[in-house]
Amino acid sequence: MNKAGESAVDPVLSVYCHVPFCASTCDFCAFYQEKPRRGDLDRYLAAMDTEFALLPKDRVVDTVFWGGGTPGLLAAKDLERLGRSLLDNLKQPPSEWTIEMAPSAVKEDKLAVLRDLGVTRISMGVQSFHPELLESLGRLHRPNQIYTAWERVQAAGFPQTNLDLMFAIPNQSIEQWEADIREAARLGPTHLSTYCLTFEEDTALYVKLSQGKVSIDEERELQFYERGWELLAELGYAQYEVSNFAKPDAACLHNVNTWRMQEWIGCGPSAASQYEGQRYQRPSNLDEWAKGMEAGLPPRTECVDLDASILLADALVFGLRMNAGCDLDLIAKQFPAPDVLAQLEPLLSRLAREGLAEREGSKIRLTHEGRLVCDAIGSSILETIAD
Amino acid sequence: MTDLSHIRNFCIIAHVDHGKTTLSDRILELTRTVEMRDMKEQLLDSMDLERERGITIKSHPVSMVYRARNGEDYLFNLIDTPGHVDFSYEVSRSLAACEGAMLLIDAAQGIEAQTVANAHLATEQGLEIVPVINKVDLPSADVPAIMVQLEDVLAIPADEAVLTSGKTGIGIEDLLEAAVARVPSPRWADVEGLRVLIFDCIYDAYKGVICYVRVFSGSVKMGDQIMTMGDERKMQVKEVGRFSPAMTKQDSLNPGDVGYIVTNLRDVADLKLGDTITHSANPTKEMLPGYKEVSPMVFSGIYPIDTSDYNKLKSSMGKLRLNDAAFVYQSENSVALGFGFRCGFLGLLHMEIIQERIRREYDLDVISTYPSVVYLVTKTDGEKLEVHNPVHLPDPSVIEFIEEPMILASIHIPSTSIGDVLALVSEKRGVCEHTETIDGQRVMLVCNLPLNEILIDFNDRLKSITHGYGSMDYEMNGYQKAKLCRLDIMVNAEPVDAFSSIVHLDKAEGRGRALCKRLKEILPKQMFKIAIQAGIGSNIVARETISAYRKDVTAKCYGGDISRKRKLLEKQKEGKKRMKNIGSVSIPQDAFIKILKTSDGGSN
Ligand SMILES: Nc1nc2c(ncn2[C@@H]2O[C@H](COP(=O)(O)OP(=O)(O)OP(=O)(O)O)[C@@H](O)[C@H]2O)c(=O)[nH]1
Ligand code: SF4
Ligand SMILES: [Mg+2]
Repeated sequence: MNKAGESAVDPVLSVYCHVPFCASTCDFCAFYQEKPRRGDLDRYLAAMDTEFALLPKDRVVDTVFWGGGTPGLLAAKDLERLGRSLLDNLKQPPSEWTIEMAPSAVKEDKLAVLRDLGVTRISMGVQSFHPELLESLGRLHRPNQIYTAWERVQAAGFPQTNLDLMFAIPNQSIEQWEADIREAARLGPTHLSTYCLTFEEDTALYVKLSQGKVSIDEERELQFYERGWELLAELGYAQYEVSNFAKPDAACLHNVNTWRMQEWIGCGPSAASQYEGQRYQRPSNLDEWAKGMEAGLPPRTECVDLDASILLADALVFGLRMNAGCDLDLIAKQFPAPDVLAQLEPLLSRLAREGLAEREGSKIRLTHEGRLVCDAIGSSILETIAD
Repeated sequence: MTDLSHIRNFCIIAHVDHGKTTLSDRILELTRTVEMRDMKEQLLDSMDLERERGITIKSHPVSMVYRARNGEDYLFNLIDTPGHVDFSYEVSRSLAACEGAMLLIDAAQGIEAQTVANAHLATEQGLEIVPVINKVDLPSADVPAIMVQLEDVLAIPADEAVLTSGKTGIGIEDLLEAAVARVPSPRWADVEGLRVLIFDCIYDAYKGVICYVRVFSGSVKMGDQIMTMGDERKMQVKEVGRFSPAMTKQDSLNPGDVGYIVTNLRDVADLKLGDTITHSANPTKEMLPGYKEVSPMVFSGIYPIDTSDYNKLKSSMGKLRLNDAAFVYQSENSVALGFGFRCGFLGLLHMEIIQERIRREYDLDVISTYPSVVYLVTKTDGEKLEVHNPVHLPDPSVIEFIEEPMILASIHIPSTSIGDVLALVSEKRGVCEHTETIDGQRVMLVCNLPLNEILIDFNDRLKSITHGYGSMDYEMNGYQKAKLCRLDIMVNAEPVDAFSSIVHLDKAEGRGRALCKRLKEILPKQMFKIAIQAGIGSNIVARETISAYRKDVTAKCYGGDISRKRKLLEKQKEGKKRMKNIGSVSIPQDAFIKILKTSDGGSN
């Protein structure tokens, strides 16, 4: 398996597909998604063909990730069409191919199609096993749907599986959080992701927050983080990033690629790309995106031209979120911006002095305490460079 | 040109908040100077800051015509003045342009410190005082008691008082009739030659320097060559006019007029307020009585948060100074804060207002240091120094003695709070020299206090002890020796020169503790832990530790989030930019002000 960006100076390439359909909108969701309507689906699938046709033919695509939205909501034949279209445009099948599924939409026929396509990894948004917590998130599934879905996934025999869990949900107790982790681990996926509930603008939960119906309690969130990390380690899931935990060799390479500032091409409305020196995004609107694709003018918004210093800074900011941390010599080679690294040196050594980071040779990684304040560290890095 | 017998020049003076500006509103309405539809509350408070804070900061002149009960028209030049003690120099300048003063007294509050102080200023300048008992609409108004106070405290016959309410409009016409009947018509009109008093000056980006003037004799018009008699500065008149209340062009200004002269000068510093303008070709013989120059009493450093803003700050200070002669500044530098300015102010409110104007009108992020007064240091070798900045206090081993500025304060309070106020005075190292009874309920304490001690929170404490009924006026009262030392604050073992202050030895420890404690509350938790210490020389008198915050992390962060996440981090970074990095700690710019504002900031 390719060691995503760890050694290569040539960037690794990933493809992300955004499937913008959901059966209903979850209370915490800020992703771009729409209700699935047949007309829209067909238009989407056709425009995706155009997206895929644009993929470079001379480069190996190492990983593919289908997210959303709810990719798993597509009918088996639509999944098949989308998958084939992609494969037709790839030099060789990807070594890792993940698809996100909602428990309520996991059906045998879909799983069979996915298996055939060569999907290697199923990621399921469980969030919690507690009905009342699922309720307060405005989620569609019930706990028994999780179990049914899980049985089906297992039966289909995908090499890798992930379950998403959520914590610091209003009214969730620390015991409930522990129980959710234990239950997820009992099911035995190769990977677990845990997300602290965030209040994104334009979400139903955010409205509740601004109405004072729920509140953010940093101290409580901290407890949830720490307890989660501790318990997951006990249960054999090693943390490799702030919110990601895996059994040996089961890290999600696709995500590691992005954190290592490699390249990725996003297909579909709202999908973001980092490719050939630019970051950009497709419009977060099905119609606008599809129109552009249909007219042969793939729309790009939010374009940012990248240079070595931006990439180096981001490789540190996002790399330090990973337990492995960064190899400064390596990123200096990948993103040659020697001044930037020199500028950062006092900050990095201070982090080490204050017990927030550990250094060994050219490697730097955050300690437990450091990881808990990695946003502050990230902004200090950007701040130091900007000055 | 109005006949002199039909001109009345008067200002409205009072203690702060007794209703001067509101009463002016009613006068503007009654004389139809401002159309009803253009009317708004406290119309003359035209600066944003005045409107927001609900106080008058600068004097505002306005001319109007009043048709009196005798059927004749009178030209009134009214000047609304500020009531806050920091701006009393504005009041004395306005008084010099008038023959009469409407002395307002809040019917519920009664005579307060600035009532007395302003009444004295008016009498000194030979003005006719028209006592006005205002806000008679208030349920708590006690007109008979105020009448007694008038006679007892100010020796003004009670039957002269006009009763008004700026709220309901009661008595406004009586007041204007009193102006006609009692305010003398313009004085000194028959002196030979042009005599014009400059009572204020502003700088206008389009027009240049504009003088606010009162013409005593002669007449001035566009194109005239004029000069100031004090420093013989020559200039040309580009325009003259009146305030109605907006500047309104006139052909000429004549004896008795209050108005403005647009000059060809570009720098207000070229003019001295209180100077006399005359014609260059045929100057008049004698200058008008000018006024004492005001000298700033409180000093503090103002620094740009972003060091590259230094020049911008410098030019904005220059511009502010153009309209505010009482504000002075000179460049200085601080180890902690870099290059900035040492600024002098009339008082804390003045300081706050200047800082706010710099932030707002010039869109600059600035940080200001702990305010200080001017100390006189005599060194062992006999050399004498003026110290405006605690950092410049010489090493104790070479100091023979230090003297600090004192004030003589007149403190008006209800008799019931005399014990508490005396305790406050002595806590502030003051001595009560004598007490005077105002009436059955009120007394006046005359106290000698160190200026330094009243800077911080004296007024707030006085107000709270007296439930809002205490007030204070003060004048400088020379220098006095005191046991003083410099208290330094260290953040992560680095001294922050900007936090240094000069304090009395007996209070240093308590003050050090209070400052550390307050800093701990004010400084946001940061990524690293912060040690705060207070020390005198090498002797640490207090310490506090701010623990690092433990959580600042967002869970989700994938490909599509990279740009978004970066934006969030950038935002966080922008937030920090508004702070100043000292000893690798980010200090919010309002930290110094916040420290000041705490009740325990200055004492123990
Ligand atoms: N009830 C009542 N309130 C009044 C009257 N006149 C003024 N006020 C209120 O008193 C407060 C102060 O009024 P201002 O007119 O700003 O007082 P001022 O004397 O100009 O204040 P400074 O210029 O800051 O010294 C405001 O809240 C007014 O609404 C009055 O006649 N009756
Ligand atoms: S299923 Fe996922 S994308 Fe759809 S609304 Fe819920 S959280 Fe959002
Ligand atoms: Mg006023």
